[in-house]
Amino acid sequence: MKNFNYIQFLFDYGTLIVLVGLCFLFSYVTIEEQSPASTTSAELLAKVIKKDLTENNNIIVLARQGSEGKKFAEILTKKLIQYGINVHQTIVGQPADARKALINFGTSGSKLHGIAADKHMASFAGSNIGKISETFPNLSQTIIFQPNSYNWPNFLKRENLLNVMKQISVVAIIAIGMTMIIITAGIDLSVGSLIALSGVITALAIQSLGGDSPAMWHLWLGAIAGALVCGIIGMLTGGLVTIFRIPAFIATLGIMFIAKGLAFIFSESAPIPIANEAFGWLGRGRTFFGLPNSVILMLTLFFLAHILMNRTSIGRYIYAVGGNPEAARLSGVPVKWVLVFVYTLTGVLAGLGGVMEASLHITGDPKSGDLVELKVIAAVVVGGTSLAGGQGRIFGTLIGAFIIAVINNGMNLTGIESHMQKVIYGSVILIAVLIDQLKIHLMKLKKY
Amino acid sequence: MKQIIQFLGLTALLFVFTGCSPSTETKKKGVIAYTPLTLSNPFFKVIGDNIKSEAEKNGYETVMVDPDMDVKKQSDQFDDFISQEVTAIILVPCDRLSIGPAVKAANEKGIPVFTVDAKCAAEGAIISGHVGTDNFQGGKLAGTAMINALGGNGGKVLILDFKKANSCVLRVNGFKEVIKTHNEQNPSEKIEIVAELDGNGARTEGYQSTADALQAHDDLAAVFAINDPSALGAYTAIEEAEKQNQIKIIGFDGQLDGKQAIKDGKVFADPIQHPDKMGRQIVQNIIKYLAGEEFEKETLIPATLYNKNSADKDPELK
Repeated sequence: MKNFNYIQFLFDYGTLIVLVGLCFLFSYVTIEEQSPASTTSAELLAKVIKKDLTENNNIIVLARQGSEGKKFAEILTKKLIQYGINVHQTIVGQPADARKALINFGTSGSKLHGIAADKHMASFAGSNIGKISETFPNLSQTIIFQPNSYNWPNFLKRENLLNVMKQISVVAIIAIGMTMIIITAGIDLSVGSLIALSGVITALAIQSLGGDSPAMWHLWLGAIAGALVCGIIGMLTGGLVTIFRIPAFIATLGIMFIAKGLAFIFSESAPIPIANEAFGWLGRGRTFFGLPNSVILMLTLFFLAHILMNRTSIGRYIYAVGGNPEAARLSGVPVKWVLVFVYTLTGVLAGLGGVMEASLHITGDPKSGDLVELKVIAAVVVGGTSLAGGQGRIFGTLIGAFIIAVINNGMNLTGIESHMQKVIYGSVILIAVLIDQLKIHLMKLKKY
Repeated sequence: MKQIIQFLGLTALLFVFTGCSPSTETKKKGVIAYTPLTLSNPFFKVIGDNIKSEAEKNGYETVMVDPDMDVKKQSDQFDDFISQEVTAIILVPCDRLSIGPAVKAANEKGIPVFTVDAKCAAEGAIISGHVGTDNFQGGKLAGTAMINALGGNGGKVLILDFKKANSCVLRVNGFKEVIKTHNEQNPSEKIEIVAELDGNGARTEGYQSTADALQAHDDLAAVFAINDPSALGAYTAIEEAEKQNQIKIIGFDGQLDGKQAIKDGKVFADPIQHPDKMGRQIVQNIIKYLAGEEFEKETLIPATLYNKNSADKDPELK
């Protein structure tokens, strides 16, 4: 009995263990010295400087360009002025700007007591102040202040974890539909091409509706057009599979080539720019609590899909069709409609994925989406859905997608050589499926 | 229980396999990140290797990743670089427009972006510096080599171009300029460009286009191909027509098989690019940028001519 519990645990949480294990591993190997340019670090640094310098001492504040550096420099300057230290100049910019400022100060002849800088500028000042002070001895006793550093994994930084989710959002969203299709014992190879087609149609629609300066509603219409066309193509695929009884593998293979070709024909093989930066809202924007909009969309869709699969009759139908289509038909399940539904839904989701991708680059690119179908299928299979049909869970797919994203991100952070990345990627997929096979094997043992 | 142990064993094996270990704590100044078009092309690998060695010499670490010509992957890699807070990014854009938003995201975080070989043309994306090959000058070298190859007789010339790449258009322009001056000065040895066909920068199309041109121009005297693969494709077509002795080929690039073909006498000469110099130069520019010193915002590295003499002395070749 006790032994059984372990197996059950492995059944339910096998993939989750892989995910957690990967997270631990990548946290361990990406531990690095961090010295963020945050509000708190600016305040702490000001306190340190107050201790070491006296009132009316001269100081220059340096920070790297960008919003983070700007805020850091602002707060630091404000605090230092409060403490009565004479902030001669605050520079937010490139190293060249910082050098110019130091040389300018040097020519003034008065003594520079300190430089307060973020990590990058401190590194600049540290390696260059010696040379500069040869010409300007008034800089020779300058102390460089920078925020205290501490060790923390690059992988576990909030920004990186959000990255991981953002990067996989398109694959994960399409994987919702793919999970349903695979549960019905089907497959859809066309989703990658639909991404390209949807992006191109969206960009074209926006261009023809709005010209050089499309308005907000043009963007919306374009996005809807992209998703809609892909939905119709998905419905067509469903028709081919049910009415004409073409195996899903072949039907979607055909659609894959057709959609890819159409994307290149419509776009005349060139990426189509979208002339309104606001279109980046979905792919790059952050509206709520600093979370990327694409991640919020992904989590919402997974939640809805979970309800659909577990709380509604259509969900039960999908499992029934995959388990045994004949038995399902005899017990009154509208098998054909269920199949058309899952292919249409996947088409719409692939179209949405295409809109998201177009939004990310603010361009409709016929080259996008290549091989995404394989990533999507990998996410579903790694998530524990059996290709034989009848079994699988929506949240399993989310975990599967996260596993794939974490591997990609972790390997990029550790700088593993790219060909080796592919080998590892393939191995992890195989290991996940191996666990799945083990599961089926043990279940049979349990039965007999 | 056994299953769990098995599973853990497999995972452990994977970790050992990847050879991961926490980076040894040597004090480094920062990280320079490199994302080229693809690492499958040796050209970009050589650039990367030289970036790495030059960066190491200056106390920087390098992260080299492969976007496989996929701009989505490349912009994901930019996000990873940003969360790693790298010191600088070296980019060969997979798409000169679509990579724009990713470059802007790096700009926003204050991370300087440099391009090597190909430029980024996205509006509003700030590129701090560029290192490339002087393709126009390389094309002129090819033109001079062509005049030598024809030995003062002149004759009909086929150009295999690749109009999609701006660099290749520049090569052809440089080539034509030299040929034009030559024709004005020596009207008796006129070199006539009879066709400009698309060789797609690849063996297959180089072969097909040359085979077609040979049907139209029986007395073709030479071919100028904008890179090595299309030059080698042209050679296959010429060999098939048994005209190796009649038709000379000038290529471009200096990839290993191109150099070998020059040694074997199949190709007359190549203006070659210097990816090694490009890699070193871009790092030197970054170091100057970081020190706040002046540097050339756009450095073009001249191509040099590689002929049978150079190939005979080349230790790389058999």
